[in-house]
Amino acid sequence: MSIEEQYRTRAKELLSGGAVKMVIGYGKGSNAKRRRPIFISSADEVDRLVLDDACITNLSGYLVSEGLLSDEKRVAVFLRPEGIRAINILAAESQLDAEQIVIFGFDVAGNEIKALKGINVEEFSDVIDSIKEGAPEAAEEELFEKIEKMSPQERFSFWQEEFAKCIKCYACRQACPMCYCRRCIVDSNQPQWVNTSSHTLGNFEWNIVRAFHLSGRCVECGNCDRACPVNIPLRLINHRMAEEVLGAFDHFAGTSKTQEPVLASFKKDDSETFIL
Amino acid sequence: MSETFEPKIIAFVCTYCTYAGADLAGTSRLKYAPNVRIIRLPCTGRISPMFILKALQKGADGVLISGCHPGDCHFTHGNYHARRRWMVFRALLDFIGIPPERVKYSWISAAEGVKFAEFINSVTEDIRKLGPFEQYTQLIEQTQAPASL
Repeated sequence: MSIEEQYRTRAKELLSGGAVKMVIGYGKGSNAKRRRPIFISSADEVDRLVLDDACITNLSGYLVSEGLLSDEKRVAVFLRPEGIRAINILAAESQLDAEQIVIFGFDVAGNEIKALKGINVEEFSDVIDSIKEGAPEAAEEELFEKIEKMSPQERFSFWQEEFAKCIKCYACRQACPMCYCRRCIVDSNQPQWVNTSSHTLGNFEWNIVRAFHLSGRCVECGNCDRACPVNIPLRLINHRMAEEVLGAFDHFAGTSKTQEPVLASFKKDDSETFIL
Repeated sequence: MSETFEPKIIAFVCTYCTYAGADLAGTSRLKYAPNVRIIRLPCTGRISPMFILKALQKGADGVLISGCHPGDCHFTHGNYHARRRWMVFRALLDFIGIPPERVKYSWISAAEGVKFAEFINSVTEDIRKLGPFEQYTQLIEQTQAPASL
């Protein structure tokens, strides 16, 4: 039995038995290469679920939708390893109770789908540890290294060109499971921290703030990058930040649901070579 | 430009240590560069990275941040939190292309009036050597936004 069928059967059991009130998974999209999130709350609908190598979106962000988990019922969700890390972070930041989440874990290697064993988030710690061990590389390693080697002026020009394209649609924020603030800093206007119009200066500020708020929290699922309508390589910035917190504080985001957020904790002997 | 460039520097300092240190520098009649505008905050932990960006947005050539030495924080650990935040923020600015030399950090206690004066002088000198932050100024000019807060 294929993993898709196994998971359909499991979803059916869970829904008909009332163990979960909803299954968040992938359904057919607008064409053969695309999948869209579907929200199933009746056992009759499980045949709409699709699982293949086109299922790349991280669905964990839907779990923090207002009111979804407030009735304390459980919700099942299809997640890749990054999504599972995201659940850990959301739980560590008290945005959800990990006990309420039933995980349908899967991973894609090439175009083969692999099921990940487990239901609760704790059961996936081996998977997460192995990602950490593997020291994930940036998706566009070449470009990343090229940027690293540039002089500050060249880097500035590179990003100036990229950010000039930004239209401040905030799709990167909407797509991100970590951007759950009810009121984002760019939506507050007293004071107006970030210019609202989409000129390059304001775009710089927005993208800096976005990346900073995600440092030590980003799981590099790539949702922001894919959501960007003008293809700004956002994941490069996120990757740089992940590298920094791993190097400086040995922090790998989302290893457990009790992990302390890196910027909300400290050690007395943290590095301070740059402080005069 | 025939005139020598006078950098505009914004300093975010904590009220319990560095601001008192600045006071000491003043009462000790120490001379230091007049390029720095000091903004007093309750703690270095209060210094949001947004402040730094805002300073640059309003045309600062350099930003300077200073507070109590580790272990001396009035709120016991505000500066430890701040230190982590700066570490990450510095890396981010560097990656985006804002030279980290334009944003300087230090610990200055209430007793270190001399260190304060020297720090201001050395930072002013460094930023003067770097020259105006032209890449950023160009962006500011593009916006032509009136100053607002």
